[in-house]
Amino acid sequence: MKGTTAHIVRTLLLSLITLFGVSVLIFLMLRVLPGDPARVLAGLNASEEQVSRLRDQLGLDDSLLSQYWSFITNLLQGDLGQSARTSRPVVDEIAVRLPATLILAVVATVIGSIVGVAAGVIAAVRRNSILDHTISSVAMMGVSMPVYWLGLLLILLFAVTLGWLPAAGSGEPLSIVLPAVTLAAFSTALISRMTRASMLEVMGQDYIRTAEAKGAPPKTVIIRHGLRNAFIPILTVISLQFGALLGGAVLTETVFGWPGIGRLLVDSIGARDFAVVQGIVLVYAAAFILLNVIVDVLYVVVDPRIRY
Amino acid sequence: MNTTTTARRRPSRTRSLAAAAALALLLGACSVSDPEAPAAEGGGDGGGTFSIAVGIDPDTFDPAGQTTTTVQNMVDYVVETLVVFDEEGELVGNLAESFETSEDGLTVTLELKEDVVFHDGEPFNAEAVKFNLERIIDPELTVPLGSPFEVIESVTAVDENTVEVALSRPSPGFVSALSVTTAGIISPASVDAEGNTNLNYQRPVGTGPYTFGEYTAGENFTVNKFADYWGEEPYYDTVVFRVVPEAATRESLLLSDQVDMIILPPVSDIEALQANEDVEVLLAESDRTIFIALDTNDQLLSNPQVRQALNYAVDKQAIVENVLFGAAEVLDAPMAPSLFGYCETGDYNYDPERARQMLEEAGAVGASLDLLTPSGRYVQDQQAAEAIAGYLREVGLDVGVTTSDFPSFLARVNAPPSADTVDMHLLGWAPPYLDADFQMQMFRQATHPPAGLATSFYTNPEVEELLAQADVETDQDTREQLYCDASQIIWDDAPWIFLWTQSFPIVWSDDVTGISSTPTEKFSAIYARPAS
Repeated sequence: MKGTTAHIVRTLLLSLITLFGVSVLIFLMLRVLPGDPARVLAGLNASEEQVSRLRDQLGLDDSLLSQYWSFITNLLQGDLGQSARTSRPVVDEIAVRLPATLILAVVATVIGSIVGVAAGVIAAVRRNSILDHTISSVAMMGVSMPVYWLGLLLILLFAVTLGWLPAAGSGEPLSIVLPAVTLAAFSTALISRMTRASMLEVMGQDYIRTAEAKGAPPKTVIIRHGLRNAFIPILTVISLQFGALLGGAVLTETVFGWPGIGRLLVDSIGARDFAVVQGIVLVYAAAFILLNVIVDVLYVVVDPRIRY
Repeated sequence: MNTTTTARRRPSRTRSLAAAAALALLLGACSVSDPEAPAAEGGGDGGGTFSIAVGIDPDTFDPAGQTTTTVQNMVDYVVETLVVFDEEGELVGNLAESFETSEDGLTVTLELKEDVVFHDGEPFNAEAVKFNLERIIDPELTVPLGSPFEVIESVTAVDENTVEVALSRPSPGFVSALSVTTAGIISPASVDAEGNTNLNYQRPVGTGPYTFGEYTAGENFTVNKFADYWGEEPYYDTVVFRVVPEAATRESLLLSDQVDMIILPPVSDIEALQANEDVEVLLAESDRTIFIALDTNDQLLSNPQVRQALNYAVDKQAIVENVLFGAAEVLDAPMAPSLFGYCETGDYNYDPERARQMLEEAGAVGASLDLLTPSGRYVQDQQAAEAIAGYLREVGLDVGVTTSDFPSFLARVNAPPSADTVDMHLLGWAPPYLDADFQMQMFRQATHPPAGLATSFYTNPEVEELLAQADVETDQDTREQLYCDASQIIWDDAPWIFLWTQSFPIVWSDDVTGISSTPTEKFSAIYARPAS
């Protein structure tokens, strides 16, 4: 465990360099985007004087270096700046939206993991059966169905036709069902395919035959000897999917009017609201780093042979 | 043995994980909860909630900071203006009982309504108006729609209910501009109230029929009925604006009775909605003109004959019917009919033969032109641009269509003339108040990019002269004629391919009534009530 602790500390320290790199990259990428934030913010009908006054207020006329310097010095004091669009602190903007995205990603990942692993195990154990082929086909559909389309179809069926579930928003307890299911479709499919492949490989190993030979019940063989050993690549896929869901829920959030951070990011890019985009990207980067550390620890938990 | 113990521990870990997820779910449900209750029906004398699904998340509730009509529409529930345009498009008093412009056009006198109070209990009076008008010309404050107010020289509170505004030059459009949400009157004390500063004004306190309730970013905005409202009492206790960016989802919310009203359904579904007996559809008139701006500095497009030919080459009516699903009216003047100063100017009926002939005479056949269009900014914008390019190809031009996100688009068309200036681009322009003076910015040298958005770089000495006269003309009939004359010249000069005014579709459940619109792309639903 000592090695693992050292590994985590080392990773976290290295991540500071990563975060610094991310801050430089996103800062520069935003500045090379065409489009004057002041003009976008002031709107089509604003006069040139108003636009130039706004440029001045936003500090857009300062040199890139001095803009970056004030960004990074404020950042080190925990201040991500102020949204140009809403005049609210970026920290507040993110704090309001982040929980909604987290909840959605967690629920979708839980659905995706449970259903995906179960389907994958069944498909692997009943290899080449009709069940296996059905699961594979459905998984294929899940991977290839556009989120937008799936989301709208689910709304049509469950909100409009059946009237069972809210079509949009996050206000009611059942609001999360449709966006979470929509979001989970892709990861469920991916996880089930990965589980099936990984299980098939493990189930062909000698120790599985040994376990069967010593008379262990099939359930024990499949779960304890099979799945546990097949779990490392599955865990990798789940964690990658969770990361992708954090960042990639934009379409789902848009279709279902879910007040998450992905929509805020896209809106902010569209409005050239630099401070908010920078803030969100940094939060994403930090979240990914944290996620990686957690997964590293989970590897050790799942497979004690792993040492760092 | 070791494996077994670990394995035995596994289920408990799974359970705690599930518990954590459930807990997180519960917490989340609380933290993002909203007070919205779907479409509650009130009793006979009012009450209940009216819910409206809109596509845009409010950026600011400060009236002075407004840019988008949808957000203005929400602010209008809380904050009122001195004057308004009524349903006939006439300018009438609101918080101002009456208004009068002096003979020389340099003084505007406003008589204010008495016994009006702000939501914080402060009185509405001349000092409050003075405070507000001075606020929107404060250089410290960002006022995107502030240009019509730059003529204000000073504001005097003559007595409790009389305000005199001195202008630096006659400005006939000034009083109309007071109808824009930007000039909405907030309580002077409220800029120091909790949560507000003058420069960062988040919770407006006005005189409107509803008070600012709660705003959940990305989710909804709630307003509550104001007990001491001076005017007619609205029916519903609470109005909820739900932020739903996807048009098809807004439509689903309405069709599943989860909201009472929506704006901007998917245009392709308008016909189906019109056929649906459970909902009412209003294709409201808008003052937004959609056009293709032609770069009049371009060697080829500097020839008015070529520009006219382009107008003849495009079958606008067919595009409106087939691409915009009827949600537009073809232009017959360089401005929308709802504006003061509009007169029916002419038509460029679809005539490809004539277009081809004119292009041949101008030696323009086979010329290559690029057409830039935003995507998703205006109703079916990119699709319409593709159709227009198709028509232009049919008369012998080589037209390529490109698109980009709106900020990049704006950076390209709002730049001084250069080799990079795009030949043609699709753009929309909606004056915030119904007067031709704002529309005419599109045809004046003073507002050529980057100073303004007169993106075809059009100028004509005769037009400049007429518009300069109209700027200071205080006689309304003469002013109207000046705009009409200018429009005629502009129409013949054809700096644009004149396309259409797009409609502003509003759809509501037939359980409710009392909903209409104003031509500035706003709905008026403050007095909505149950239909029965």
